[in-house]
Order: sequence, then structure tokens, then C-alpha cells
Amino acid sequence: MSKDTPSYEQARDELIDVVRALEAGGATLEESLALWERGEALAKVCQQWLDGARARLDAARPDDEPDTDD
Amino acid sequence: MPVRTVAKALTDWIGRLGRLWVEGQVTQITRRPGQPTAFLVLRDTAVEMSLQVSCRARLIDELDPPLADGARVVVWGTPEYWAQRGSLTFAATDIRPVGIGALLARIEALRATLASEGLFAAERKRALPFLPRQIGLVTGRASAAERDVVDNARRRWPGVQFKLEPVAVQGPYAVTEIVGALSRLEADPNVDVIVVARGGGSMEDLLPFSDEALVRAIAGMFTPVVSAVGHETDVPLIDHVADLRASTPTDAAKHLVPDMAEELDRIGTARRRTRQAVVRTLEVEQHRLDALRSRPVMSDPGGLLVGWGNDLALLQDRAVRAVTGMISHRQHEVEALTARVTALSPQATLERGYAVLQRGNGAVVRDASSVARGERLTGRVAAGTVALIVDQDEQETR
Repeated sequence: MSKDTPSYEQARDELIDVVRALEAGGATLEESLALWERGEALAKVCQQWLDGARARLDAARPDDEPDTDD
Repeated sequence: MPVRTVAKALTDWIGRLGRLWVEGQVTQITRRPGQPTAFLVLRDTAVEMSLQVSCRARLIDELDPPLADGARVVVWGTPEYWAQRGSLTFAATDIRPVGIGALLARIEALRATLASEGLFAAERKRALPFLPRQIGLVTGRASAAERDVVDNARRRWPGVQFKLEPVAVQGPYAVTEIVGALSRLEADPNVDVIVVARGGGSMEDLLPFSDEALVRAIAGMFTPVVSAVGHETDVPLIDHVADLRASTPTDAAKHLVPDMAEELDRIGTARRRTRQAVVRTLEVEQHRLDALRSRPVMSDPGGLLVGWGNDLALLQDRAVRAVTGMISHRQHEVEALTARVTALSPQATLERGYAVLQRGNGAVVRDASSVARGERLTGRVAAGTVALIVDQDEQETR
């Protein structure tokens, strides 16, 4: 993820705004499409952050006992 | 000034002390059978000072319990200067053991004064280091107490470092040796905590550990001191002044070093809990993200377009209907007009075989008489027009 990628919180908060705007309607077709694309991009960024975090967590795991998901 | 003058002056000064009670600990009793006088050395209990004491041998013999080395006694007598040999002895006329009761009372009194001075105040107590670099250990040489402290501490924390200061733990030399050991350990920067340990013992044995000089020495120290003296029930004054009182040498070890296994376990738990906290956060965030992504606007943009599409269709539909409406309206109009045109238009009449005569200027001939012979007319019949010339007047045909 490049340096200027928004932080997880920034991406998630903007995504929330995009969804709210889309659901409110009233945007032009062009704007709606642009909003939707922005939403998808933000969602991908969030997912990358979460996957990255999980990977780092698992990376630190080797010497522990396996994760006991209760 | 000649010796005799000095000697005489000394005799006078010393004589001036008069008779007095002196307290101390007995060492080096010399009682030779047949000798009328006996000698002993009375040592101060705290500092390295002592007095030669001489008394009638019978005085020693009559003592019950018999005088033993190390016994605490008070001696009644006067200091005498023997000018001949230039030596000083304390001529005792009465020796009395300091009774246990008297000793205990004395200690209690001392405790009270020291307490009033605030030496035992809780706020003076210094905390023990969590993990000392080196532990100063003041105990009897190779004593059980030493083994208890060392073995237990090592079992808890194998890497523990000790600095041993073997001392006498009872008798007249105990206090001075312990104080000496304490100051050496205090001076050593590596020693982070000092333990004074001794196994159980009799009241007399533990006396040094209630000695004022020792208590004051400890009170003045910066390095934390742990006292592990005597049985659980014994509470010598050292216990009050120490930064921590351990009931036994083994108990002291528990306070000196953390238990490696316990610490590792705690660290393990801490790591697990931090991991679980992070995992939980991740799960929560994942759920939130999934929720956002599953919102219709995001998961099914098509739906958005469908909406737009519907709007479009609606609009188109309306447009079409509007247009069709207009067209049909216009249609009707045209038809109406056509109908009227048709109605007005002579064509139908022509169709029925009539013809319309028109003069050159387009005027329609309605009166036969209005035409003259040879006049050019146009005859419009259903289909097309005929050029005509009039060949006779109207009067002729009547």
C-alpha cells in the first residue's frame, strides 16, 4: 500500500459518507457512478488494511500455540 | 613533667568517677584456682570497647547461674588506675546478670524511644527492587539461614547474584560485625538490597538484633534492608526498622526475587490477552466493513442503475405517451381539416361528373349568359382540366 494510502479509519469514514450519499440519492448519474467507484476503491483499501493486520498478527504467531478461537 | 605527676593526675581524675554500675558483655574470664582475685573483660555491646575488670574470685564463684562467656551483666564498682604498671582496671564489688525480664524491659523502652523518633515510620520504608542486581546477605557463615535464602532465591530466579557477608550472629561481637557488614554492603553500588538472616535462637542469642546501634545503622541506610531473624514469633527491633520483615529466611527469598516460572506465565498471559484484544478488534472492524460493503448501493450498483433505468423508462414512457398523444391529437386535427377540405373541395362533386368552368382569371362561370362566343375557358373535371372555347351564345340554346 503506497504511502499516501489513507489510513484505515480515514478510508472507512469516507466509505460511510459515500454510502450515505448514494443512499440519499439526488446525485447526478455521473456523480453516482463516481461515488460508487470511490466506494469500491475505499472498501478495497479497508480490506487491505485488515488483511495486512491479520497477516502481521499471524506472522507473530509461529512461536505461540495455535489461536484458540472461542 | 615526670611520670609520677602524670600518674598522680590520672589517679585523681579517674578516682573522681566514683562508684558506678557498668553494663556490658563478659568475655575472657580468668579465674585461677587459689588466686584471690579473678579477672574478666567487659565488652561494650555495640562498639569495640572493653574494660579490664578485677574482682574477688569468690564473687565469681558465688554467681548463680555461673558466669558464662557472653553473658550480659551489670557490674558495680570503681575504675582504678594502677600507677605502678600504668594500667586501668575496674574494681568490681558486685556483678549481677542482666535478667531476661530486665533485658526485655530495656528493649521495650528502647523500642518506644526509637519509635517516637520515627525510625520505624512506615513512610521511611523503601520498596524492594523488583529484580536486584546483587543481594547482600548478612548471615552466620555457612548457616542454615544462609542456605535457605540462597537456595530458595536461586530456585525462583536462577540468575540471582549474592554478596555474602558472614558475621557472628550472636554473642558480644555480633553487633559490631553486622554493622560493619551492612556498611560494606551499603557502599557497594551493585548491591540493591540487603538481607539480615538468622535462624531461631534463644532470647540472648537474638539480643544483638535489638541493639540500638544496629537499629540506628539500618535506619540510616539507603539500600533497602530485609530482616529475617529468628522464628516467626520473634520480633527483635531490627524487624521494626527494616524495610521489610520476612518471617523466615525462606520467606525472605520470596520477597527478594520474582519467581521466574510465575513471571513467564504472567508474560504469556499478557501476550495472549493482547493478541486476543487485537483479534477481537480486527473481527469487529471486518464485520463493519462487510456491513458497509453489503449495503445495496455498494453491493448491487446495478440496482442503482436499475433505479435510474426505471426512471429513464418512466420518462421515456411518459415522453412517448406525450408524443403519441400529441401526434394523435394532431392526427385528429389533420383529419378534421382534411375532412373539411374534402368537404369544401369540389373534387367530390367533380367525381360525380360535374365540371367547373373557370375563366382565364380563375373566376368560376356560374351564369351561362356571362360567357361570350369564342371565350377561352378551362373546364376542371374530376381528373384534370380541359381547355374550352365557347362556340355559341346562351340565347341560341334556349
